[in-house]
Amino acid sequence: MSDVRAADYVGFETGTDDAAERERFAAIVEHLRPECERVIAQYEDARSALLPILHLFQNEQGWVSPAALRACAQLIDVPLSVVESTASFYTLFFRRPVGRYMLQPCRGVACIIRGAEEQMAHFRERLGIGHLETTDDGLFSYEEVECLAACDRAPCMQVNLEFVYDLTNESIDAMLGEMRAGTCAIARRTQTSPPRRTWIIQQDSGKKSAGAQDVLSPDDPGGIGDRSGKDMLRRIERDPELLLARPTRERLVRDGVAILDGEAEKH
Amino acid sequence: MQLEKILTAGIGELDLCDIAVYREQGGYAQFERAVKELQPAAIVDIAAKSGLRGRGGAGFPTGRKWQFLPNNGRPRYMVCNCDEAEPGTFKDRMLLEYTPHQIIEGILIGTYAIGSRHAYMYIRGEFKRGYETFMKALEQARAADYVGERLFGSDYSVELTVHRGAGAYICGEETALLNSLEGKRGEPRLKPPFPAIKGLYGEPTVVNNVETLGYLPHILRRGPEWFAGVGTPKSTGYKIVSMSGHVQKPGNYEIPLGLPMRTLVYDIAGGLPPGRKFMGIQPGGGSSACLFEEHLDLGYDYEALAGAGSMLGSGAAVVFDDTTDFVKAAHSLVRFFAHESCGQCTPCREGGNWLEMTLERMLHGRGVESDVDMLVDVSHSMTGINLCPLGDSIEPFLASVVKRFPEQFYAYVRTPQTAVAV
Ligand SMILES: Cc1cc2nc3c(=O)[nH]c(=O)nc-3n(C[C@H](O)[C@H](O)[C@H](O)COP(=O)(O)O)c2cc1C
Ligand code: SF4
Ligand code: FES
Repeated sequence: MSDVRAADYVGFETGTDDAAERERFAAIVEHLRPECERVIAQYEDARSALLPILHLFQNEQGWVSPAALRACAQLIDVPLSVVESTASFYTLFFRRPVGRYMLQPCRGVACIIRGAEEQMAHFRERLGIGHLETTDDGLFSYEEVECLAACDRAPCMQVNLEFVYDLTNESIDAMLGEMRAGTCAIARRTQTSPPRRTWIIQQDSGKKSAGAQDVLSPDDPGGIGDRSGKDMLRRIERDPELLLARPTRERLVRDGVAILDGEAEKH
Repeated sequence: MQLEKILTAGIGELDLCDIAVYREQGGYAQFERAVKELQPAAIVDIAAKSGLRGRGGAGFPTGRKWQFLPNNGRPRYMVCNCDEAEPGTFKDRMLLEYTPHQIIEGILIGTYAIGSRHAYMYIRGEFKRGYETFMKALEQARAADYVGERLFGSDYSVELTVHRGAGAYICGEETALLNSLEGKRGEPRLKPPFPAIKGLYGEPTVVNNVETLGYLPHILRRGPEWFAGVGTPKSTGYKIVSMSGHVQKPGNYEIPLGLPMRTLVYDIAGGLPPGRKFMGIQPGGGSSACLFEEHLDLGYDYEALAGAGSMLGSGAAVVFDDTTDFVKAAHSLVRFFAHESCGQCTPCREGGNWLEMTLERMLHGRGVESDVDMLVDVSHSMTGINLCPLGDSIEPFLASVVKRFPEQFYAYVRTPQTAVAV
């Protein structure tokens, strides 16, 4: 295992050259080091400890900071890019700070057919924010999540990963009131840095799909209504043969041969 | 209707998280007996004879899966899959939170049976409470010498490592789970090789669901004939069914396989709310096709449901009454699979997104008539050409409800002010 030193933690997120900040983070690493080493020893291969160690850092900081990613890379001795790529796959790792309360109502099918949409609209209205956003005061983050395995108590949600069942607009108001007053039974999350509007880091379109880029669903229709779709339709109007031109095996072979011939001519 | 409780016995009545209480109920006696008296091969035989099939989704015979392990002298691993996230399923979470020792005993018996000395328990990241409960139980089991070195004076030693996920449904797929256990992105691997040949760290590995392993102590205690004698010839034993949606008594029910679905919906789950009409049931989780009134007399078992074009899957039954907007239900499920696609296969990644956007557009009143056909067409074209079954999971429900309730889908595109001029 590589040696982790305070000097290695140049936090490019929370003040690059701030010595106090660096020292604070070094103390966190020292605090977590014994537990990290114990976790690593549990596995045949140190890299297996990546998720557990990321959880430890997130518990400590409330999010997985760039400095934490670097520390993890060093603790298990893999490149930083590997840690970033892996951490970004998992939605429970927050790569930007989030609110004190992570509110996650379920949008799964069993909750939807029992009226969850009404409660989600209520949340948005009461909090003044949308899906994947944090309130300006840094108190609430809001994300509509997939089935939470509590469908018998629909509509339901998790708050800081604790379950809250049988939601109604009234129970939501009562809960938010307690959270603001500081009397809620669910513990607040650790918050070491002020959150921003969202904690999600993604390409502009907000979608995984390349095909979905520049299609601003729902108001700018995708599919047949989008620009490329319209262009295609215009081409088909001019040349109906296009409809029949499916990528058949013969056509692929023909195109391939044409390309090869072209190549051959060049050389 | 009175049901015999096996895995669910004592839940809600006893504090089964306490090892003393669990032992009073006969807990850990079967693991002790296994190590002291039974050869691993004998347990594999018992599992095979009982007819026990995987309760995680695929329904593969457990004994057979264990028999695939090669005899190559390499280390082997047992992995317990508690990543439960299939829409509608909530049985593993209940077992985790209420009867963790039963899971531990099941894992230990399975690990011993396949000749492994290291087991892993993969728990869904969202199950924080369950994780803590399980960790406490494991500490108790360790202190009582059920986990560790040289158990019961034999030379058998076993280690159990708990691994917490971090929010990714796809990590329930066994090869994605193994990648996640190795500290990688949870992307499924190409099969073959199957985990039994090349699994965790490239070694022979068995992945079993929580409920599957949980039945092992009971099968050892009461004999494989007992288990094989319940249910139907091919779907033996009991199964926990998670009932949700429009029923009066949603919850987990442990039933003998083969019970008619009508009994399940009306007698066990209390039927529909007063005045409502039955419209459909999705019997086996988000990836299963919707079944209807005419299917209600079918048995709830692997063969009957598959015969009707659906599947038993994880045993999650969502019931739909006549207030259901099937476009919204389909949208929720499509969005789920689009969101959870790992992105490796183009049909799964692009198709899911496309369908989600199309449904979203329809719900916002901007659908066109051809959209309805397109839903069926795209979901069909993306099926059967992906690395893992997730990419094939959209079509069954979507196609079944479009076919059954086309008017609900056309209602979103037919009104004049919503037609989009192309
Ligand atoms: C997309 C996907 C998700 C899955 N999720 C789970 C899951 O959450 N829990 C589970 O036990 N099996 C899940 N499975 C099935 C596993 O791949 C595997 O078949 C199962 O864990 C084997 O255990 P069994 O034979 O005891 O059922 C999933 C499969 C797929 C394709
Ligand atoms: S089918 Fe989907 S989830 Fe499965 S490997 Fe391919 S892209 Fe990933
Ligand atoms: S659908 Fe909401 S908890 Fe399962």
